[in-house]
Amino acid sequence: MVESLIDAFFLVIQFERLIYLAAGVMLGLMLGILPGVGGVAGMALLLPFTFGMDPIAAFAFMLGLSAVAATSDTIPAVLFGVPGTQASQATVIDGHAMARKGEAGRALSAAYVSSVIGGLFGAFLLALAIPVLRPIMLYIGSPELLAASIFGISMVAVLAGSSPLRGLGIAGFGIMLSMIGSDPQGGDLRWTMGTVYLYDGLPLLPIALGLFALPELADLAIRRVAIASKTKHEVREGMLQGARDALRNWWLILRCGGIGAALGAMPGLGSSVIDWFAYGYAARSVKGARDSFGTGDVRGVIAPESANNASTSGALVPTIAFGVPGSASMAILLGAFLIHGLQPGPAMLTTNLAITYSMVWSVAIANILGAGICFALSGQMARIATLRYTLIMPMILSIVYLGAFQGNRDWGDLFALLAFGVLGWVMKSLHWPRPPLILGFVLGAIIERYLFISIARYSWEWLLRPAVIVLLLLAVVMVLRPFIGEIIERRRTGEKGLPFHAPVLHVTDLFTLLLIAGVGWMVVEATGFADKARLAPLSVGFASLAFLVVSFTNQILRRPGRGAAIGVGGGKARKEVHLDLVEDYRGLPVGKIVLRAGVFFGWMLVFMASMALIGLIPTVFFFIVAYMRLENREPWKLVLPIALGTTLFIYVVFDVFLTIPWPATLLGRLVPALQVLPSI
Amino acid sequence: MSVIKVLKSLAVVAAVAVPASAQAQSVEEFYAGKTVSLYIGYSVGGGYDTYARVIASHLGKHIPGNPTIVPTNMPGAGSLRLANWLYEAAPKDGTAIGTVARAAPFEPLLENEAASFNAAEFNYIGNANTEYSLCAANADAGIANIDDLRSKELLVGGTGAASDPNKQANIANAALGTNMTIIDGYPGGNDITLAMERGEVMGRCGWSWSTIKATKWDMIEQGQVNLLLQFANTPHPDLADVPLVAELADTDEQRAMLNFIVAPQEMGRPYIAPPGVPQDRVDALRQAFMDTMADPEFLAAATEAGLEITPSSGETLQEIVASVFATDPAIIAKVIEATN
Repeated sequence: MVESLIDAFFLVIQFERLIYLAAGVMLGLMLGILPGVGGVAGMALLLPFTFGMDPIAAFAFMLGLSAVAATSDTIPAVLFGVPGTQASQATVIDGHAMARKGEAGRALSAAYVSSVIGGLFGAFLLALAIPVLRPIMLYIGSPELLAASIFGISMVAVLAGSSPLRGLGIAGFGIMLSMIGSDPQGGDLRWTMGTVYLYDGLPLLPIALGLFALPELADLAIRRVAIASKTKHEVREGMLQGARDALRNWWLILRCGGIGAALGAMPGLGSSVIDWFAYGYAARSVKGARDSFGTGDVRGVIAPESANNASTSGALVPTIAFGVPGSASMAILLGAFLIHGLQPGPAMLTTNLAITYSMVWSVAIANILGAGICFALSGQMARIATLRYTLIMPMILSIVYLGAFQGNRDWGDLFALLAFGVLGWVMKSLHWPRPPLILGFVLGAIIERYLFISIARYSWEWLLRPAVIVLLLLAVVMVLRPFIGEIIERRRTGEKGLPFHAPVLHVTDLFTLLLIAGVGWMVVEATGFADKARLAPLSVGFASLAFLVVSFTNQILRRPGRGAAIGVGGGKARKEVHLDLVEDYRGLPVGKIVLRAGVFFGWMLVFMASMALIGLIPTVFFFIVAYMRLENREPWKLVLPIALGTTLFIYVVFDVFLTIPWPATLLGRLVPALQVLPSI
Repeated sequence: MSVIKVLKSLAVVAAVAVPASAQAQSVEEFYAGKTVSLYIGYSVGGGYDTYARVIASHLGKHIPGNPTIVPTNMPGAGSLRLANWLYEAAPKDGTAIGTVARAAPFEPLLENEAASFNAAEFNYIGNANTEYSLCAANADAGIANIDDLRSKELLVGGTGAASDPNKQANIANAALGTNMTIIDGYPGGNDITLAMERGEVMGRCGWSWSTIKATKWDMIEQGQVNLLLQFANTPHPDLADVPLVAELADTDEQRAMLNFIVAPQEMGRPYIAPPGVPQDRVDALRQAFMDTMADPEFLAAATEAGLEITPSSGETLQEIVASVFATDPAIIAKVIEATN
């Protein structure tokens, strides 16, 4: 084994193969920055170019590309709060908070150092595990996948929110959303409202960008200042500080790297949940996380970043050993496998072991190279955060639009983006946790599938499998701990009875009521589905409703401030964890905040109207010009280069390179000759 | 404002520059300098996508006028979104063609409400390969032939009612009296195969021979699986001893039901043009497609990409669709009952 490991190393470090690997890394870094594009589209488009290469060079190229997309995606996540790929959603929370405090350079460099260590550790674990891969994988059946998903939701649901009930309720809502579309068995159409768009369910991209990117941009437009008013550190000092942070937390990096590799190996759980698992784990286990996570704690950056780079190694496992790709990019790598005549399966771990190890080395080298380049640039990148909001906002917003449009390449993507943008902003403003929603959405589909499979195959006996018992018990402990904690606290302080007061309603309670009404409507609709199609929606729906209703009651009967004022509940509110960004508007009156938010989302409507009229690419140009001129009267000598440059960039990437099918426009219909212009 | 004026004047110039006389145009004149979009009903990276991209890079030089072919992905609803779009909204001048699921043309017959097109009206251009789909069982399940399959229960994996693994198992149960129980809900075919390896299910249907050869040859070589049923009109040369489903049927009604499953396999990965494309351009596209299939450069590229090339002409596909659409409604009702 050691011998083939060394052989494989010399296979990879041949000059030509290293060049391909480096080319893959450069491309991956560039693609990772663009939200919605990511490594998957890049790999798919470049796959044909690998046909002529030798297998080791081809895999070096493709793995280089996919391994580092999770490195550079940190840049937009930290600087703008826009996750560059699905793997950096959790990085947004503390990374962007750090950028707001003027610590973008520190956050970025900590992220890169953790990425490289996590990535290397993942590759190391893969190298170690190769001899025992197949037996381990054969042990993980549908019940184990199901239990792991339930455990994941429970972990994040109760972490967030000033009340764990809100987390559970909102996670339930996320699961409900994941069940939109044709059901996985009968093909019954659930809540599609007659549209073909919802047939396959809501795509993840517009939801993730809507929930996490738009609220940050909206608040930037509301505050009307730069993301960071000043940088706290000198360029070099910030970088060194970040590197020191990462090294000091090496044990956290290894643990999260292990989580990333292990979860990456489970087919179905992809990179979009691994960062949340790691973040949730860190928030539970590191000292003082209750107080500091969500406010710009560097450990909240280190945990997800080390995990998502390690997950590439993990995702190789099912691909190599069984031909079941662990992620979308691995599905394409599997295609490359077959094209080069390699069969996934036992042979990859015996006769072709050198090739397998060459992949491990490629991942390792790619991580060093990718993180090194990003690290070198991180100090300079950090300065972008100090730019005026009118300089970056229209550009970022246009790219977020294009990114969301990658979901299904349909108008529906933009409506979904807008809807989830508004939902995300309201949730953020009212301190409702967003992570459980996205996690429920991602894991919901897995849970429904594997619940049916487990019951159909093993009836209730699936509950007796050892790994299932452990995971489910842990999930129960996770969910009950905050409640038990409160009871113990009360016992200790000698209080009796429930600390209720007369109901007090706030305007903000309206959101809870709307949510209850929404879930309620879905439940009512679900009663009309076929038997198999409604079982899961009804059980999740009722549970979610129950959590929301109890939470609502709790909300109006036990307001901490109110309770203290009238002497109920001991007066001292328990310190609650809220693992999400909290906005500080520096004393802006509520009316003004709502007005400015209205203006921001109004701009989005204008963008969409213009897109229907004259097409997406011309809209980008006019939108940037209009936004910069109307919001802040930026000088033309800044406006025109930015508008032209962004439009050209978007044209090259999305029209020439990705050949997006643009929706028909009114102008194109009226003057068909203009259809020669892109996107009209 | 001034920009809109500029756009308007541009539009006028462009409108004048384009010749208004489309009637007398030859196919070559029409396609010269144009771009033809080849829409793919799936996202990047899958089988439909790989075939389409290799074909796209060679098809243009065989169409008179040598247009540029641009492959474009329009995923959604298992390619039904693309089929709907091609039927209703796509330009009907021959600059938009697409590749959709092999079973998509038959969805309207099976009362799928998401399929809002009349498949008989599409212009079929051709396909690059015929699929041979199989039902198989793990060797340790003790099911080696059709008699075992009828007498013993076999747990097979499913990927949803409308998918090949489910449809084939359900129709075989209904028409051939086999005894397969579907454990349904796996995300994809690969996941079923993994479940077979760990013994969670003992078999599967809808397993195409090209996939088996490419990904699971070791299971065949070591005799880990028994191949039981072959869904095709004529046996694949490698599979002479695996019985065709039609041979196992006793009545014409059973054969007609099985035809619903066999016909899509013959469709392979079909390329279609919208209804209403001028006939001379349809003919040119069909000819260009078959010429591409015989082009040595294309064949070399296909071999490099590991693609099997066993083409059928557009006319053949059109006949297959017509034959299925001529099925007795009573039998269609039975198929719907069996597959839901």
